[in-house]
Amino acid sequence: MRADAARPVALPARRAGASTVALDDNLAVYDDVGQLLILLNTSAAAVWERCDGVTTVDALVDELAATYPDAAAVMAEDVRQTVDKLRELGLVADAGS
Amino acid sequence: MPSERHRVHCRAPRRGLSYRFAVRCEDASLAAQADVVLAGLREPDAGAPIDHWYSLTTTPGGVGTFDVRRDEELLARDQRRGDALGWLVWDVNRSAAAASGQHLLFHAGALEADGIGVLLPGTSGSGKSTLTAGLTCADFGYLTDELVAFDLMTGDLLPYAKPITLKAGSFAVVPALDPARVLPPGTGPWSGTEWQVPVGGTTGRRVGRPCPPRLVVVPRYDAAAPTGLTPLSDTEAFLSLALHAVNLLPHGAAGTAAVAGVVAQSACYALTMSDLDEACALVQGLVDDVAAVVPHGAVDAG
Repeated sequence: MRADAARPVALPARRAGASTVALDDNLAVYDDVGQLLILLNTSAAAVWERCDGVTTVDALVDELAATYPDAAAVMAEDVRQTVDKLRELGLVADAGS
Repeated sequence: MPSERHRVHCRAPRRGLSYRFAVRCEDASLAAQADVVLAGLREPDAGAPIDHWYSLTTTPGGVGTFDVRRDEELLARDQRRGDALGWLVWDVNRSAAAASGQHLLFHAGALEADGIGVLLPGTSGSGKSTLTAGLTCADFGYLTDELVAFDLMTGDLLPYAKPITLKAGSFAVVPALDPARVLPPGTGPWSGTEWQVPVGGTTGRRVGRPCPPRLVVVPRYDAAAPTGLTPLSDTEAFLSLALHAVNLLPHGAAGTAAVAGVVAQSACYALTMSDLDEACALVQGLVDDVAAVVPHGAVDAG
């Protein structure tokens, strides 16, 4: 278990049972399993929406860097931190594990 | 014939949301006060079942003080008259929340104006009860000052017309609501650390009807700040409501969507207030604005 938690997520997938409502540019995510309500800001919401279990983290970084070129230099680190946080909250699992 | 001291005054059934109860009291004037204080919670069906009984009994060895029980459970002992009623109201509130989980509940005040629901989410000390009292005196229909029930089936705010509970800090702001002035003659003096201001019945303060929320105002009392409104973004309004929801997580995705729906259909503002009259005037202005844009049928429905 500990080794899994430490291993970076390769294929992030949104947890089934989570529902969302859009608020301005943010996203409120309710996780039915963990009974958890999380508000994601714009950048975290962009990551969350792309966690489809098919797109790799590297591909996700490339896609977001192309969409937000001003933030390209820090995109890799930001995306990985966000994916890790989403996994920690139980909102994302690794479809590749 | 039993003496007044030992006579039990059984009172009419009451209902707070889904919680049915009645009060019995062996002191005639305290029973009369309870009747007035709980006027807004009168159960229209006199034959409705009573789930719980509150008893206000003279404290043995006390000096004009009372013990408060729900069924056989002692809630408080040796209380002054007003404080005994305060304990009763506190437990009714707690029990109404526990019995009404089918609704989405908010820690908030709520009012109705011409079919427009006004939600005032706020923590204790934010001034929501004082603002609710001020608006009720300005002829808004009172829904509640503490526990708002949003019916997930109909999308309406439901009346839960418990007495408005005012703390000492509010007494000077709304002197007209002093129980000494509000309670009818013959019900005895008020003695309590809080005021329990009755609404409904013959009090002249009306209970609102079920209505959809169209206005969210988040009050914050600040004696040093000018009274004014600040628009809230959808996210800010959502967070304010979600943080003051009592049972959001048990309602899950439906509850989350309902909160977002309330935000989407409402004008949402933060209200900083140091002057109650100004604050009430600002809320009235917002209601007028909403009434101007909400379809006529929607305002009249209900």
